[in-house]
Amino acid sequence: MKKTTGNKIKLGIFVTSSIVLLIAGIYFIGEKGQLFNNTFLISGVFKDISGLQVGNNVRFSGINVGIIDNIEQITDSTVRVDMIIDEGSRKFMKKNAKAIVGSDGLMGNKIVVIAPGTPGKKQLVDGDFIETIQPISIDDILAKLKVTADHSALITGDISAISGEIRAGRGTIGKLLMDSTFAEHVEETIINIKQGAGGFKQNMNAASKNVLLRGFFKKKKKGEDKKKK
Amino acid sequence: MPAEIKSKVKQVEFSENSYLKKAKSFFEEAALVTMFCGRFFKELVKPPYEFAEFIKQAYLVGYKSFPLVATTGFIMGLVLTIQSRPTLATFGAESWLPAMVAVSIVREIGPVITALIFAGKVGSGIGAELASMKVTEQIDAMEVAGINPFKYIVVTRVMAATLMLPILVIAADAIALYGSYIGVNLKGDVSFHLFFLKVFEKLTFADVFPATIKTVFFGFAVGIISCYKGYNSNKGTEGVGLSANSAVVMGSLTIFIMDMIAVQITSLFSK
Repeated sequence: MKKTTGNKIKLGIFVTSSIVLLIAGIYFIGEKGQLFNNTFLISGVFKDISGLQVGNNVRFSGINVGIIDNIEQITDSTVRVDMIIDEGSRKFMKKNAKAIVGSDGLMGNKIVVIAPGTPGKKQLVDGDFIETIQPISIDDILAKLKVTADHSALITGDISAISGEIRAGRGTIGKLLMDSTFAEHVEETIINIKQGAGGFKQNMNAASKNVLLRGFFKKKKKGEDKKKK
Repeated sequence: MPAEIKSKVKQVEFSENSYLKKAKSFFEEAALVTMFCGRFFKELVKPPYEFAEFIKQAYLVGYKSFPLVATTGFIMGLVLTIQSRPTLATFGAESWLPAMVAVSIVREIGPVITALIFAGKVGSGIGAELASMKVTEQIDAMEVAGINPFKYIVVTRVMAATLMLPILVIAADAIALYGSYIGVNLKGDVSFHLFFLKVFEKLTFADVFPATIKTVFFGFAVGIISCYKGYNSNKGTEGVGLSANSAVVMGSLTIFIMDMIAVQITSLFSK
């Protein structure tokens, strides 16, 4: 008899513990879904929700403050998203707060991120519609990337053509770099300039000793000496 | 007709008969199991109720299976975590380990592995016990003594198995998650609080409820099959071993089939 009672107690403890574990699990899952918290409902109208689903998180200042309650297509290009938000966050959410569909990390779920409004504004109330910002979709980024890649291809083609012309010795830069005759002409010109500069120096020395120009050179020298002092 | 052809014709006839016999016995067995189930539900609702025997069976089937199920659950969580880590680390997604392991354990691995362990331990026990009772004519003796053996033996055991398996699965899931926590901390440093936050971040009611509901059916299947095999045992002492063996084999196979159906139904509703 004693043994039977002991067994019953053991069984009772075992069953109760397991049921408590189940209830605790249900509570934690329910709490995540704002099932046991005071909440209020806000909505936003988006053009594209990028795969957002009912149950995804709503984030405000990096904190999960709510979940997506309902998603409904209202016209051919607009979708209404209802969000259940924890009552505790209401005081920080102003009328001009903005919502954007974001992503939880590179591989994460879609989320709605709410940007806080201006401090002086009124708080959001139950059933309010908040402003939305259209997210930049991956498709848009890829489309822009394609344009950039096309331009890069054209530029690369042009550079390739120019380098081909230079290598062939055509054009000014091509001749400058590749044409040996041109290089010889340039060398000759430099020699000529050098010789011309030497002759010009001799002429100027002779001119400074000339009776007619001596006064001018002396004045110039005096002016320079004054400046030095 | 030459002797060779005669023997070949005989062989073909024999194999045809053998397949026919097998098919016939399969359908007969299916009908008998269905009738056995029908009798179970009839006896279940009809008073008097053998409540004391049910509690005793619940203790034997549930509480006594707990150490085995707990050990299996712990190892299950630990091993799954250790094995999953390298793959997730390749993607730099080790922080997803608690959530991934939790979903795997709660949705599938916990219920199925626990049910298989349960079928092995409890199914064989019930099958062998009832078969030996049948062989030693204890069941007949009960009838003579004015006790309804079906109600006393079968209903209590099937009900105990049906209600205890979900309880065992919940306990096994919790212990497996603790094993996973140990596994995560073997090569990392995650606090208990953060681990369980991560676990419940990804778990939803759609993970917990279908998984718990299907264990009720698993428990019923294990109970009814092992009772049927034991209650209808024959061939003397040899039949005891056969009953225990076929109770485990049929029980395990039924668990997998029911799991496949449950997954299909769950995915149908989750769309």
